[in-house]
Amino acid sequence: MTKSIILETRGLSKTFGGLVAVNKVDLTLEAGKITAIIGPNGAGKTTLFNLITGVYPVSSGEIFFQGALLNNVPAYKRASLGIVRTYQHIHLFGNMTVLENVMSGRHPRSSYGFFEAAFRLPKARREEEAISLNAIKYLNLVGLGTYAEHDAMSLPLGQQKLLAIARALATEPRLILLDEPGAGLNTLEKRQLSDLMRSIREMGISVVLVEHDMPLVMGIAEWVIVLDSGHKIAEGTPVQIQKNERVIAAYLGEEVE
Amino acid sequence: MLASLKRNWSYLAITGVIAFFMLIPFDWFLGQYTTLMIFIGIYTIVTVGLCLLMGYTGQVSLGQAAFFGMGAYISAILSKTYGVNPWLAMLIAAIMTGAFAYIIGYPIFRLKGNYLAMATLGLGLIMWILFTELSQFTGGPDGMSGIPSLSIGGFVFDSSFRCYFLVWLFCLVVLLISQNIVRSRTGRALRAIHGSEAASESIGINVNQFKVKILTLSAVYASLAGSLFVHYLRFVSPQPFDFLASVKLVVMAVIGGLASVWGAIFGAGATRVLSDELLLRFGQWDIVVYGLILVLVMIFMPEGLFVKLKELYERFRFRYRRREAQP
Ligand SMILES: Nc1ncnc2c1ncn2[C@@H]1O[C@H](COP(=O)(O)OP(=O)(O)OP(=O)(O)O)[C@@H](O)[C@H]1O
Ligand SMILES: [Mg+2]
Repeated sequence: MTKSIILETRGLSKTFGGLVAVNKVDLTLEAGKITAIIGPNGAGKTTLFNLITGVYPVSSGEIFFQGALLNNVPAYKRASLGIVRTYQHIHLFGNMTVLENVMSGRHPRSSYGFFEAAFRLPKARREEEAISLNAIKYLNLVGLGTYAEHDAMSLPLGQQKLLAIARALATEPRLILLDEPGAGLNTLEKRQLSDLMRSIREMGISVVLVEHDMPLVMGIAEWVIVLDSGHKIAEGTPVQIQKNERVIAAYLGEEVE
Repeated sequence: MLASLKRNWSYLAITGVIAFFMLIPFDWFLGQYTTLMIFIGIYTIVTVGLCLLMGYTGQVSLGQAAFFGMGAYISAILSKTYGVNPWLAMLIAAIMTGAFAYIIGYPIFRLKGNYLAMATLGLGLIMWILFTELSQFTGGPDGMSGIPSLSIGGFVFDSSFRCYFLVWLFCLVVLLISQNIVRSRTGRALRAIHGSEAASESIGINVNQFKVKILTLSAVYASLAGSLFVHYLRFVSPQPFDFLASVKLVVMAVIGGLASVWGAIFGAGATRVLSDELLLRFGQWDIVVYGLILVLVMIFMPEGLFVKLKELYERFRFRYRRREAQP
């Protein structure tokens, strides 16, 4: 059985002025896996996500999603292709309720526009019903069903992060990129987060997470990629990475000291 | 809980508005205020568009009077100079103004925040200069008179009393359409853009396109209002479309509560009453007073006076109910 590849990058680079934030990175991500990207602060992890999701144009190199070249696809179209991400700084819609945040995530899976909305045509009403049913489903999946009518920003940080994941899942992605989902969570919340990531993978969605919490990463990731100063310096299973000399020198060693 | 309160509120508002504005005020009741009420209706239409653009989508426009003026002048020139039926003139004006907004929308929304504010301000000034300077079409600073009234069959909207109903019918349709949009997938997308453009793009919202479309809709509203304005007054001059007019429109939207469609009536009403009845005394200084109102409202009740009053009412009702419920 051949392994199916969800995402591939070749010689991917991003420069900001003189700074090379991502430097000729080759990645091959297998579908249906949980992959972790680790590396010290400023290693280029978030920038890599920004390239994959189209926030920045690439400086050089290629990105392929399910075999198709992604470089020139505008950011907003990538969600309907099946790529979605969460942000390190969460970026919830503070002017909406919890449920409305998730309903917004149904945007690429619904299609009615200004005209149908203005006159509440049958198509609008039909889709709107499906949108809220689906949103409730994803809200329940992350365990926030009871907070549906609350203001999004009234939730504590841990639940805000879950809400951001629910909103992303509502787009029905094939690939979800999570930028430091564990940051700021307590032990219990981290365990719930791990469970959630596993159930996301069970849904057939490939998961990539950027994370500084090593026990969390080593406990859940099936494949680990290490970035340092924009370079990919190692990749392998959690066990291989924990033993890798270069990784220890560049990253883990630094933390121990 | 909160949501159901909100829903009750707008039904209450709708019924109240229809009852008050369509049934009670006969000519003998309104008297001299019929004209004021017509202006409130017209300005409400423009303000609703501005609420959608600024309040919901978070995009500033300091040049909304440009679209208002385009509707007014295109309608006036087509119907008077070229003898086009006023309804058709109104339609063509709306299409042309909308198309104009759509075309300038893409370059203008490359800008954000203060830069966007400056660009829209510039647009307003340019339009105003055109209205003044293209005198062979517009009549220049003196304006044009003798613009035909709207009519259906033999029924001519030539009195204030008749125009009153026409304007408020338009106003209600615009309010209902806007409310429907706000509570839809489109409305969520607009609010999402206000909340976080980055997150909006990440979940598949074409941020630029939505901004341009809502600008276009707001321009069409403003254009329709402009057409109603000139076919009612049968006169047009550049003065109602100057920079102060754009500022007043922002004041209306802000007082009504930027993120409240129905608040627009309140904002337009309060501002018109202020300017027609009270601010006349300040003469040239009225712009200072508008600026002051704007600053005070933004500082003390950023959600708008209307929304604030609504909150107070809810709190009062809640307390009252609780007292009633006690044994
Ligand atoms: N928009 C930008 N403009 C200029 N420099 C940038 C920009 N975005 C990122 N950088 C720089 O690129 C480098 C990589 O940043 P990035 O945010 O990708 O790091 P990271 O691995 O996510 O770090 P952290 O763990 O702290 O989140 C940093 O030196 C950063 O300052
Ligand atoms: Mg980062």
